[in-house]
Amino acid sequence: MQPTSLMKEEFLKKWQMGLQIYRPLIDNTSVSERRKAIKLSADVAMASLRRGTTCWSRALIQKTATENNFLVRQMLSGIKAETLINKKLPKVMCHRKIVRRSKKNFMRRKSRSVSEEVAAKARKLIKRKTQGLRNVVPGGEFMNNDVLLIQETLDYIVSLQTQVNVMRSIVDAAEAGIERTACYLEKLKFTIED
Amino acid sequence: MLEGLVSPESLSLSYADMSVPERLKWLQQLQQQEVLSQSSNDSPELLQILQFHGSNNDELLQSTFSHFQMLGSGFGTNYNMGFGPSHEAMDGCISRTGSCQIDPADTMGVMLKNSEENRAISLKTKRKSEVKTREQEKTEKKIKVEAETESNMKGKSNMSNKEAYSDTLKETSKGASEIQKLDYIHVRARRGQATDRHSLAERARREKISKKMKYLQDLVPGCNQVTGKAGTLDEIINYVQSLQRQVEFLSMKLAVLNPELDLSVEDLSVKQFQAYSSNLPVIVASKPLIMVDVPLFPLDQQGSLDLSVINLNQTTTIEAVRFYHSENFSDYSKFLLLVWEVTCLLYLFASAIYKLGNSVT
Repeated sequence: MQPTSLMKEEFLKKWQMGLQIYRPLIDNTSVSERRKAIKLSADVAMASLRRGTTCWSRALIQKTATENNFLVRQMLSGIKAETLINKKLPKVMCHRKIVRRSKKNFMRRKSRSVSEEVAAKARKLIKRKTQGLRNVVPGGEFMNNDVLLIQETLDYIVSLQTQVNVMRSIVDAAEAGIERTACYLEKLKFTIED
Repeated sequence: MLEGLVSPESLSLSYADMSVPERLKWLQQLQQQEVLSQSSNDSPELLQILQFHGSNNDELLQSTFSHFQMLGSGFGTNYNMGFGPSHEAMDGCISRTGSCQIDPADTMGVMLKNSEENRAISLKTKRKSEVKTREQEKTEKKIKVEAETESNMKGKSNMSNKEAYSDTLKETSKGASEIQKLDYIHVRARRGQATDRHSLAERARREKISKKMKYLQDLVPGCNQVTGKAGTLDEIINYVQSLQRQVEFLSMKLAVLNPELDLSVEDLSVKQFQAYSSNLPVIVASKPLIMVDVPLFPLDQQGSLDLSVINLNQTTTIEAVRFYHSENFSDYSKFLLLVWEVTCLLYLFASAIYKLGNSVT
């Protein structure tokens, strides 16, 4: 599934709305503040496109809501805003040391053959990769189910692609405009100097 | 699937070879199965299963497996008797129904079409869409022959139902964002593999995962060359990370370029294209400035540099720096620009070498 133009349009609209909300609140002179505002509003816009159906969108909204609660609320403008922000995702508590120790003991007891060892190593590798994927995808720690994890990554990748496409096209347009004016100014300068 | 099908001549031969008592036995069992499937088709369990949401429901699974065992035992005895008594039995069944007017010549095609779905539902088992062995195909066709009669009995209404179900299956298998309405798990026990509940469930789960991984492979560019789960997962992780970094980078760029923070752009694609087309000669003529953002430029834990960011932005210029220094376009600012470029290039070079060194070891 590729990002469609409809998705891009919706994302852009929401992003504009978010930026409009942000503009009076932030200090317009510093670059970092502006960057933060842009990124935040883009993230929330991307997550709100899914309207809370996917796990990653909820996790992303919650993450941003912890810092800028008021703004997120306004951005969502009542679309399940309360439930999304206040709902707590189930935390998976696992004491890594204890788990590791018990696994070591278990493996020691088991008898090993060559093929088993290879298979076990492959499985370990895959587990490590899935853990890496969970770290990258927002809200991944709460997805114990592998199928769910892969579904969420699919959706997340598509949303990220739309976000990147829209942002890049805007940046390119802005750049092109600036380039044009800069060239024009240079030409003017040369004509004046002559 | 029609290639593996036995031709009608051989069918008649095998049928002629069978003795009379065998034939009677076969017909009896056929009747038995019809009764079974009829009763099972009316049961509410079937309706429940037809609305199976893909969640693990223990009671349903148990009932499906009990049915599977019953029918499986019925089919097992038929296995030894050549490839089904075809024409006469079919004629007999057809005469029994009396209602359907399917031409016996193209019953094969219809049979396969109906029975594909019908078998799935009447057997209420899970099926795999893998390449099956010859013997397996034979068992399958036998079941189809027997199941065909059931379909004839039920008539057209069931057929439409089953087609709808297969359609929804195909729909639901596409796109994770769509809500799964009727998720039907099809897994077939292969020859020589365990048919107990756990392994079947596990196999179904693995099938799902591999299907989703295929979608991911299509989505992530450059994932087709890598085989195996670990490699594709690696690529996916890298891709997601690179996308996230791109978002940060682009937002930084926007923040620099756009001090007013208003995105009043009506038609993105047209404007972009126009801008590009009108400015292309200018960009080429100017100094080849490579856009990099040094603070956000990554060398993650494995030391793999994300080169995709560079490739995408090669033609853009360092507008940000120029913009800030446009008022006093002095020699000093030009010098700064040059220094900036050189450091970026050096950084790129060094990181590329680092990556090469890593890949060699």
